[in-house]
Amino acid sequence: MNKSNQILRAENLSFNYGGEQTPTILNISFSLSEGEILGVLGPNGGGKSTLMKIIAGLLTNYSGEIYFQDCDLKNLKKFPYSKFSYVPQHSELNGILPVKVLEYMNFARALYSDVSANDIDELLNLVGILHKKDCLISKLSGGEKQRVLIARALVNKPKLLLLDEPTKGLDSNGQDQLLAIIEKIKSRDKTSVIIVDHNINQIIRNCKKILCLNKTSHWHNKTDLLTKNILEDIYHCEFEHLLIHENDLQNNHDSTSTDPHLFCDHDHHQSLGKDPHSLLRGVKK
Amino acid sequence: MIVIQSIQDFFHYDFLFFALIGTLLLSITCGLISPLLIARKNAFMGSAISHSTLLGLAIALSLFSSENSFSIFSMTLFITIICTLFLAFSTYRQKLPSDSLIGIFYTSTMALGIIIHSLFAKNKTDLLSFLFGNILLLTKEDLILSAILLAISAPLIIIPFKKWIFLTYDEEGAITSGIKAHLFHYLFFILLALLIVTSIKLAGTILIETLLLVPGFFALKFAKSVKQTFVLSVLFSTVFAFIGIILANTFGLPSGATLAVVLFFALVLSLLIKKIYHLFK
Repeated sequence: MNKSNQILRAENLSFNYGGEQTPTILNISFSLSEGEILGVLGPNGGGKSTLMKIIAGLLTNYSGEIYFQDCDLKNLKKFPYSKFSYVPQHSELNGILPVKVLEYMNFARALYSDVSANDIDELLNLVGILHKKDCLISKLSGGEKQRVLIARALVNKPKLLLLDEPTKGLDSNGQDQLLAIIEKIKSRDKTSVIIVDHNINQIIRNCKKILCLNKTSHWHNKTDLLTKNILEDIYHCEFEHLLIHENDLQNNHDSTSTDPHLFCDHDHHQSLGKDPHSLLRGVKK
Repeated sequence: MIVIQSIQDFFHYDFLFFALIGTLLLSITCGLISPLLIARKNAFMGSAISHSTLLGLAIALSLFSSENSFSIFSMTLFITIICTLFLAFSTYRQKLPSDSLIGIFYTSTMALGIIIHSLFAKNKTDLLSFLFGNILLLTKEDLILSAILLAISAPLIIIPFKKWIFLTYDEEGAITSGIKAHLFHYLFFILLALLIVTSIKLAGTILIETLLLVPGFFALKFAKSVKQTFVLSVLFSTVFAFIGIILANTFGLPSGATLAVVLFFALVLSLLIKKIYHLFK
């Protein structure tokens, strides 16, 4: 791994919420380079959001090391909040206050002296929500809310963007649009992104690196294959059929090969004619 | 005619003029803090703080005579801030719901206050006037203290206003943007304690909750933006507190109770009008 453009490195990261016997995460190690996207997969309670909160500086009582641009976060006098941005799940927004999109953006803008009103408009335009800047956030759809949250997270031009289940509650179209926006941000600013998602397909399609997490870590680099065994081990269940690599799937479709796929033995040609996305879903037995 | 005469009285008699100025200062600050109190879901915490002032008052009234208003005020403020800090520490970003702890705390401090008062108070009847407020108790000294404290509180809300709202609306987003949430948490409750102790003589420890909750509730029902919420809350609080104090003087009613009733009826009436408007719209 080339360390010069490495943005984040976690070594033997463990965390235990007070009072719990088993650690929420144990000995997690991974690294992320500039402009890379790391997808975090795993079942509920597997420690995905905990990991995000640790990196974002919300949970500090962890063991192990996190290096941001080769500096141990624990040794820094001041946490580099301005270089990180964390987007929690939108359900965590307080729905009592009538906050407009522009007002929300201006809360973040007020923290940074070098951000102009034009910059805010540009960000809203980037996420495709500029026309709704005078709308109440509570009146927006789930996808629109997520775009607003992402736009807010970009106000400080972060080096690392942390997204906790940004596609939650969105239909597949909405998910695709949102992930296209994330890809656009990554390309534009060389922002590194860590994204937690339950949708295995989206993670595999959009992330160069994947971290499968269920308390104990399984680091997976996409240059190797994410195997069925790894997923079954992570999710503690068996998958009836699962196709991992879309390219591989496409190759099967184009060829006349009837060889069984790496993870399953069902008929790809028949399934492809229906919905390629459905093929990529793990189906629990 | 009687009402006009009553308004003129406020400019003829010093103690009434002090009460009027005190009411306006108090209502502006309550109007500012009220939407935050509701949006942060700290209404019950407000009740706990206002009830825990009884403990401070009981100790103060056991140590000083009721004429020594500065000493009573200082001791009550000191005890209330200690109670408030304990509550703020126990409830900051806890997983367990804090309402049970707050409930236990405020009934216990109140009970302790009553026992201390019945055992050691120099004048047993004083506590009642503090429970429900008495406009006639307001002295020039009180007004100066109130003005100083309110002059401190208001800027602490107005200057970092966007940070308050950011934290209230998206707490984790705000913390990870570098806002020191724990400092704001403690500051909020200290402000609340200052406000409640300052307003004891005017509205009383129990009725101050009306001033803290009704304006914000009204504003959050009607406002269409954050800015509008706070403007409406301050306007509502100021206008109806003013009306309340005038009515209290005109008809010789207890000031705290009158303020509370006027604010409540104004809220009910406005909600009714809104309902009717939507029915015929």
